[in-house]
Amino acid sequence: MSNRLVEILVSSFMKILIPGIKVTIPLTLLSFALSLVIGLFLALVQVAKIKGIRELARFYIWIFRGTPLIVQLFIMFFGLPSIGITLDAFPAAVLAFGMNLGAYNAEVFRSAILAIPTGQMEAAYMIGLDYPQTMCRVILPQSFPVAFPNLFNNLISLLKDTSLASSITVIELFTSAQQIAARTYEPFALYLEAALIYLIFSTFLTWLQRWLEEKLVWRSKGFEEQNNTGRAKPIV
Amino acid sequence: MLEVKNIHKSFAGVPVLKGIDFKVEKGEVVAIIGPSGSGKTTLLRCISFLEKADDGRIIFDEYEHEMKNVSRHDIKKLRMQMGFVFQSFNLFRNMTAFQNVMEGLTTARGMEKEKAKKIADAVLEKVGMSERADYYPDELSGGQQQRVAIARAIAPGPQVILFDEPTSALDPELTGEVLDVMKKLASEGTTMVVVTHEMSFAREVASRVVFMEGGVVVEEGKSKEFFANPKEERTKQFLKRTMRN
Repeated sequence: MSNRLVEILVSSFMKILIPGIKVTIPLTLLSFALSLVIGLFLALVQVAKIKGIRELARFYIWIFRGTPLIVQLFIMFFGLPSIGITLDAFPAAVLAFGMNLGAYNAEVFRSAILAIPTGQMEAAYMIGLDYPQTMCRVILPQSFPVAFPNLFNNLISLLKDTSLASSITVIELFTSAQQIAARTYEPFALYLEAALIYLIFSTFLTWLQRWLEEKLVWRSKGFEEQNNTGRAKPIV
Repeated sequence: MLEVKNIHKSFAGVPVLKGIDFKVEKGEVVAIIGPSGSGKTTLLRCISFLEKADDGRIIFDEYEHEMKNVSRHDIKKLRMQMGFVFQSFNLFRNMTAFQNVMEGLTTARGMEKEKAKKIADAVLEKVGMSERADYYPDELSGGQQQRVAIARAIAPGPQVILFDEPTSALDPELTGEVLDVMKKLASEGTTMVVVTHEMSFAREVASRVVFMEGGVVVEEGKSKEFFANPKEERTKQFLKRTMRN
């Protein structure tokens, strides 16, 4: 490797990392938060079987899963101004990513809710809880650990998909790499470097997932001394 | 106190209950027995509105209504007066034994924490589960889980407790501890309806026995008479087969 190349790689590292930290990560987290809110809402109205709203939810999921993410980004940023709605690049990207992933997370939440045995709901009804109480106290707390691995899967996908925001002028990690590559004529090295930084970010997320999953296992006080029931520790 | 009249219920066109009349008075322990598929569990589930009866009336104290169009609000009010013990326990897996018992008192009935805690401690004591109050259902044996489930059902002081084959999912050596708790409740005058395959429980503990088959009540009567002198041929056959031991 030539000295020049090493120099470029070293000097560009921070120039790619900083926009990664300042733009890619906030973009990922904000979009993900939005997708959780949308996803949970869409899942709840579907399992509650509220006529009309349920069909709207299905329509939403059909649209957002059925069209390419980059097309949704372009509509949000380049298309909406034609009907008088002009968004800055960053909020447009948050909306597009959040609404898109919301459709996927809706299915994650829905399947996690449906995974809880009906007996849990019947027992809740029989002690006098109503539907909202049953959802909040019994069903959702048991659904989150089920949904968690899939949600995190989607989060890691999203982290990488945010590189698409470069196409609507958001200066994030990948845009920065592109700019330096264009200036230095070293695309191979710089795109590898960008890939490495994404990999570092997603490695952190993987660690975070492991750590959170351990926290999410219901506290089993006194389990050790009680191990004589012969039951395995709940893996949820 | 609790009465249902002429319940009909079909699943996908197959009739399961064909006009059942059923009644339980305060302080009674009624055992519902019969072969599998006779509709015993469905009857219990219709009474508690876990299934919607196609036809029939329910009378609970002052309340009387067609079962197929009881409002959601009324169903909740009726359930507040019933306890239900499931075959598969159905303890809330995200809560400890103690929290399972508390839930119906605090969340469902808005009781103060302190007052609810006293009740929860007392009922867990009654079923012999005080020492395991802070355990999660997955850390308890089937018999222990069912005892907690009974504690959860009796905690709010319902007028009647419905048991749906409470020992059928248990290993044989664990049925005793659950039946003992139920005997204790019966001796305290708790009103109970018990769908069961435990003939000895029906004979020794129940005050009245209802024998169902094919979606109808074949025979019913005071427990002692029922077992000593069954009248219907079908009842005799069933008892002969199930009481061999």
